[in-house]
Amino acid sequence: MMVRSMLRAGAWPAVTGVSGAAVVAGGCGIAFPAAATELFPIAFTLLAAAAAFTLDEPASPVVDVTPTGPLQRTAIRSLALLAPLAAGALLMLAGALRGLVLPWAAAGLALAGNVVLGFAVACVARTRTGEPGAPASAAVVLILMTPTLLPPVARWVSTFPPSGGGLSSNTVWWTVLAVCVAAVAVSVSGRPLPRRLPGTGITIGRDLTS
Amino acid sequence: MTAALAPARPGAAADRTTFVALAARETRRFAVNPVFLFAVVMTAWTTWDYRKAPANAVGTGNWYPWIFLGGFGMMATFWLTRSMRDSEPVVGVTPTTLPARTAALCTVAIVPFLCGVLTLFAFLHFHPAGARVYGAFSPPAQVAVLVGQIVIPSLGGPLLGVALGRWVRFPGAALVLSLILFGWVNVATFGSLSHPDSAAFTALRLFSPFAFFTYMNNAADVTTWRGSPWLFIGWQLALCATAVLVALLRGADGRVRFRVTRTLSIVLVVAAILLVLAATGGFPHAVHA
Repeated sequence: MMVRSMLRAGAWPAVTGVSGAAVVAGGCGIAFPAAATELFPIAFTLLAAAAAFTLDEPASPVVDVTPTGPLQRTAIRSLALLAPLAAGALLMLAGALRGLVLPWAAAGLALAGNVVLGFAVACVARTRTGEPGAPASAAVVLILMTPTLLPPVARWVSTFPPSGGGLSSNTVWWTVLAVCVAAVAVSVSGRPLPRRLPGTGITIGRDLTS
Repeated sequence: MTAALAPARPGAAADRTTFVALAARETRRFAVNPVFLFAVVMTAWTTWDYRKAPANAVGTGNWYPWIFLGGFGMMATFWLTRSMRDSEPVVGVTPTTLPARTAALCTVAIVPFLCGVLTLFAFLHFHPAGARVYGAFSPPAQVAVLVGQIVIPSLGGPLLGVALGRWVRFPGAALVLSLILFGWVNVATFGSLSHPDSAAFTALRLFSPFAFFTYMNNAADVTTWRGSPWLFIGWQLALCATAVLVALLRGADGRVRFRVTRTLSIVLVVAAILLVLAATGGFPHAVHA
């Protein structure tokens, strides 16, 4: 009962809408194989942005004081990640059937990494705000598009296979996955992160007695 | 001979004063927006960084002002427009109408436009017109290409952000649209790479707010694609006008709505004509040099 009502309250239009936009972008990459290496990273970035909206809770002032803890709430809401993951898997399947030559195992890892990164940033932002979707997706898009927008960065780090010079895509995503799992674990542990009251310099949420 | 002069409407001067004050306030808010400041810094850095770029990198160098001043400028104006949404119950009862406030928001696009002009001058300083990398175009047409790639997108992106902010409630709309536009420019350009003489692929490449006009495979092989850079600027300006009119349509009623709708339909027809002319103008086929 609670699972159903929590899922129903999710930002489904945002999650499915952005995932749909990702399918359109990736679909163009499948239709024009020459552009696939440009459009698949854009599609995966959109899926990361979609994942960042899964924790949006407009009624957070009410929900956050209920006995249901952040761990349980986050676990239930994480089911919504199936939407971007399914959209990405669909794109990869369609690409493979169309005969696109990509390292699919590495692409699968990149998909998982993108989605988990979006979710992890949203988890951390959720400790500060009830609707972390917009700022978290903006941050994730900026991070993920940097190598595409700035070729000098792409020489150091690759976020989508096949990797260029510098850190390979697999290394990047395994590291990101590890960091994201730790970040999610800390953010749902129930301990409020320290926050600064605007204009006062006073930090609240930190135990000063210890 | 006598001339009968109609007395000026007493509210007109007050409306103008209010509009100027609003426009100045919005411009100040926009100029200190962190997203816009980031875009300005990145544009300056990439222009400076590419000053000694090899010839084949100049084409990609033009890409950054569009991404930063246009794309990030769009996000900044989108958030600027949305920032007043929560205050609407209070602001909505003031005598200033929503179209007037939208018009004031649209004026902030002057700031990124001026940044685009400065970037164009810097780009021309580092890569003077007449260089071989600009293809077979005449020097004035080469400047037109750069204006279409650097200056006009810096104006159009922020205007699109205002229109989007007025009509779309989804907070991530500007991000999603910027990614989709980025992907679309890639898709639209790839056809011209394999079929440079195709009229259909030329039209597809120009059916976009940003377009490349040359392709450089290596230093010895520059391909100048079909299409008129001058008429493409006209198409881009028609897109800018469309964005402004769509933004003004929100909250317009009565006579203002009728005027905006009528002007919008005219602008759309002009835009379609300019797109066709831009695609059929220029060289009759791709020129290799």
